[in-house]
Amino acid sequence: MKSLKSQVAGVAVASLFTVALAACGSNNNNNAASPSAASSSAASPSASASASASPSDSAASAEPVTLSMLVSGSKAADGADFELDTLPKLVKEKFPNVTLEVQKLPDEQYYTSVKTKLAAGEGPDIFLVFPNMANMGAIEVAKAGYAADLSGLSFWNNVSKAAMNDMSYEGKPYAVAKGMDILGAYYNKDLFAKAGISEVPKDWDSFLAASEKLKASGVTPIVMGDKDPWVVQFGMYQLAANTVYPSDPDFDKKLQTGETQLTDAKWVETVNQYKTLYDKGYVSKNSLGMASAQAMQQFVDGKAAMIFTGTWDLPGVTAKGAADFERGFFSLPGNKAGEPVYASAATAAGYALNAKSKHLDAAKQIFEYLYDGQSPLFQAWVESNPSISVFNGVPLKNEIFKDVLTEIQSTGHAFYFSNQMWPAGVSDVMQSKFAEIIGGKKTTAEDVTKAMQDKYKELYKG
Amino acid sequence: MNSAVMKKTMFWFVLPALLFYCLFWVFPILKLFQYSITDYNGYVQKFSYVGLDNFKTLFHEEILGLSIRNTLIYTFVTVILGNIVALAIAFLLNANIRAKGLYRSAFYIPTLFSAIVVGFIWSYVYMPDEGLIASFLHKIGINGIDTNFLGSYDKALYSIIAVDIWKNIGTSTIIFLAGLQTVPTDLIEAGKIDGAGRWKLVRYIKIPLLATSVTINVTLSVINGLKAFDYPFVMTNGGPGTSTNTLIYAMYKMAFTDQLFGKASALGIISFALIIVITAAFVFTLNRREISA
Repeated sequence: MKSLKSQVAGVAVASLFTVALAACGSNNNNNAASPSAASSSAASPSASASASASPSDSAASAEPVTLSMLVSGSKAADGADFELDTLPKLVKEKFPNVTLEVQKLPDEQYYTSVKTKLAAGEGPDIFLVFPNMANMGAIEVAKAGYAADLSGLSFWNNVSKAAMNDMSYEGKPYAVAKGMDILGAYYNKDLFAKAGISEVPKDWDSFLAASEKLKASGVTPIVMGDKDPWVVQFGMYQLAANTVYPSDPDFDKKLQTGETQLTDAKWVETVNQYKTLYDKGYVSKNSLGMASAQAMQQFVDGKAAMIFTGTWDLPGVTAKGAADFERGFFSLPGNKAGEPVYASAATAAGYALNAKSKHLDAAKQIFEYLYDGQSPLFQAWVESNPSISVFNGVPLKNEIFKDVLTEIQSTGHAFYFSNQMWPAGVSDVMQSKFAEIIGGKKTTAEDVTKAMQDKYKELYKG
Repeated sequence: MNSAVMKKTMFWFVLPALLFYCLFWVFPILKLFQYSITDYNGYVQKFSYVGLDNFKTLFHEEILGLSIRNTLIYTFVTVILGNIVALAIAFLLNANIRAKGLYRSAFYIPTLFSAIVVGFIWSYVYMPDEGLIASFLHKIGINGIDTNFLGSYDKALYSIIAVDIWKNIGTSTIIFLAGLQTVPTDLIEAGKIDGAGRWKLVRYIKIPLLATSVTINVTLSVINGLKAFDYPFVMTNGGPGTSTNTLIYAMYKMAFTDQLFGKASALGIISFALIIVITAAFVFTLNRREISA
């Protein structure tokens, strides 16, 4: 009898412990939620005012709502960061009952974190999605049922068809692209002039000739931070846009059926073209030991004439370095003489909504407001966005991209980044195999393409 | 049966901790075994069972052998070199020198930084042409040495290992130092009376009595080496190519970049087995050698 009693007591003590622990847990939650509750109750009179102002705000009752948002990227170097500062502030102004909690992670961590959260059923209400089949691509996210169908929203007429399609699965859009990104070569106009290059090269042979001139004049023609393996893509996709796709725009669709392969002569040639730049010593030697930020520094310090990267890197490329010079931007011409240059341009990432969000309606209203084409929030978004807008009537902000963009718009000569049609992982194999070439191993272009094809076969599932 | 030491009911106090342990440690490990025979991508909850396919592909690919090789090199070098250097430093710091405290702190400082910080700093030290080492060599007039440490297939792995040793040397040194201070002075005096020289004192008295510290340090660095992930992740991204992929790094890459959670789980199980075998072997052999003072 006594022992039973003490057993009961033991259980009671043990469960008390659990309760205490659980209390700790819920306490934390309260702490996290409390600021939003406090601020929204303070602001509740204006909440009703804004609700009556826009009749569509069915969910914008005074009930406090906290939305979570997870995006990738790095915080703006100076001034207000759009996603971290401006967006929550302007959302709060328009919807006083809505608190937006934004978290921004570096790319690699973003992928890991958002996937884990989504898989655990605790996904953020708003998150960043990439076009088509890229890592965290629209197709994959939609298929898994994580992203909400956005076709009911009203602003789609204002968005370019291409941008919408790249974010669609089975004809329905799942994310709103931030804009369009173009890969290209940023170049140092002063160094080009000094080396006696009067105009931007328009085909592969003249590009090689220009590089040779730069090298002869004693500057590093191209600097790449190959220690960050992904930068290999920046040159490679531009060459693929000229060498692979113009003669067969459906190359990647045919890959899925096995009609074409990454080992086809066209891809081997693409890899060989890029290899040439290293073989001839046009890319800074030791590039494998240099990180992309370090490479960028070499460029802004005027030590190298070109760097391959995309429109998103404009802030970094135009940062002040040891040398003052004028920057330019052109598409790396992988084409034969006499053929047109194709640019490598693609839809940028964009925000999507969590299909399982408790506050999907509120989130949709934020989207309506953000993308309505005139609101202060829309203006702020356009202002802060380095990508080229895909919304009708938004003028180009950055003069440096004008030539390339006009060319694309007038001729339509552009193809997407190849990895947007590959399962995530193929580009990694391309990078690590190509690194062997950079590192002076005996790897050939054929080896690179074979490894890519093998990975594609392993990863592609209908 | 009532124990004289503790009432049986007191075992209930273990329950909360045990629950958490099972929930966050045992259960996930069991899940790993389940995932290893599926094509789970870590993300979409629908997956199918594929039998031993994951293991078969792994054994066909070069990444398994390569990452095991890298991990073993990593472990071997950190264990041997790390401990020899630490032992040497411990002897130095145990000697009667001036400003002993200062030196002891100096050697311990790197240990205080996180691996991320250390990795980041060292990637600038190693930067070709412009880094600390390269510019130092340049300053003292040595040119023509290839300073591309992290970008070279032959040197990258060893460059990373050097950083790991640099960072962890403080911990091993402290353990050795503590061990040295427990060496009884009467034994040393007895040795001296018997005519043992300085080297003989070290070889036949101090080192045998340090056996416990050696076991601790070697085991710790074996485990540390087999789990190597931070420095390849921060400093080289496993590159150039795949040349600095360790087991854990390869697993991470497979799970989160390739989105092959099933395959990564299979690799996890292989390395799990490997690490257990190696650690067990080490502990048993070293335990047998220990001498009690």
